[in-house]
Amino acid sequence: MKFLGLVIVCLTGGLLLYGTMDLPNWGDPASPASTHLSDYYIEHIVEETQVPNLVTAVLADYRGYDTMFETAVVFCAGLACFLLLRDFRPGKDRYYRHIPTGVMLHFKNPDTRMIPGNEFEHMDKDWVPSDIIIKTVCRILIPFIQIYALYVVAHGDFSPGGGFQGGVIFGSSLILMAISYNLKTLLKRVTEKFLSMFAATGVLIYVGLGVLAMIMGGQFLDYGMLAPLVPWDPGHIRALGMLGVEIGVGIAVMSVMVIIYVNIVSEGRHDEGL
Amino acid sequence: MHIIINILSVSCLLMGLIFFIGGAVGIMRMPDFYSRLHPAGKLDTLGIFTMVAGLVIYNFHHLSLGVVLLSIKMFLIVFFVFLASPTATHSIVDAGMRAGLRPWTKKKEKE
Repeated sequence: MKFLGLVIVCLTGGLLLYGTMDLPNWGDPASPASTHLSDYYIEHIVEETQVPNLVTAVLADYRGYDTMFETAVVFCAGLACFLLLRDFRPGKDRYYRHIPTGVMLHFKNPDTRMIPGNEFEHMDKDWVPSDIIIKTVCRILIPFIQIYALYVVAHGDFSPGGGFQGGVIFGSSLILMAISYNLKTLLKRVTEKFLSMFAATGVLIYVGLGVLAMIMGGQFLDYGMLAPLVPWDPGHIRALGMLGVEIGVGIAVMSVMVIIYVNIVSEGRHDEGL
Repeated sequence: MHIIINILSVSCLLMGLIFFIGGAVGIMRMPDFYSRLHPAGKLDTLGIFTMVAGLVIYNFHHLSLGVVLLSIKMFLIVFFVFLASPTATHSIVDAGMRAGLRPWTKKKEKE
């Protein structure tokens, strides 16, 4: 079986390498991309889309399909991580800590459990005393990181940034919370259900905008057709459509990042980890 | 006026360069893990401050509201690095102590 896998991987890699032989050379001035496409983008993007950032315009508008399936790939990565790693069996050992004295209890019987309250708290196997410096600084920093992430998403069509970057920054702020406190603190605030719903919602927003354009009488992902929905600013409808798409991408990327982190770090158990 | 701004910003940049070089040399020359974190944490933080201060002064060639906002944003970078960098150094040292790494002493070398 392993040998078969190796053969398939080598064949696929060989085919991909064979396919690259037909690509134009690096920076070839005579290649089709450099002769027609780039010039067209540079000359027409601002008047066609009213978006000053050419990269975002190309990614979210001219190549909307490509970015949509990229988002779907990100979603599939989160889904695959969940399906491969998630483990619903209860953990064998449980650890509790008596808060006033610091005594540790170790339950080996999986059926006995204790309701943590004021006196006892859940404890990870590799628990370390919480560090007040790290906790405080992370508590100060996390809101700013999240605001910055929203800024990056919202300014995708004016300056470098966009949904993928903003989503990653937002996800990393949640991961920072899991690292500085512990995994339970994160999962108490951001539950698994919430994350899965958001991952799907992000892709749905993207596809939904495309379908909405179809319903309004245009082609799939043709944001120009959405103009009647925003009567106060129809000139910037393409920029607004891109913003909506970027918000979808950001939500999907953020939740998939956290899903992957939580599943890997706790080996699918969602109880304890880094 | 322009000459003064240029001199100020270049001297700030040079100062930052000295700090960064000191940090790099320190990381190479210090004897062990903990003492290497000292130049890595301190001199990088100070180097970023002077570098960004130099760039902010250079911005004042064309004074306008946008430039002032940009300068504030640049100083925000410095503010967050000042918060985050010492904390990161602290947590790395903490992890080293927990993992049982002994600090380097001169006695050890003589034995």
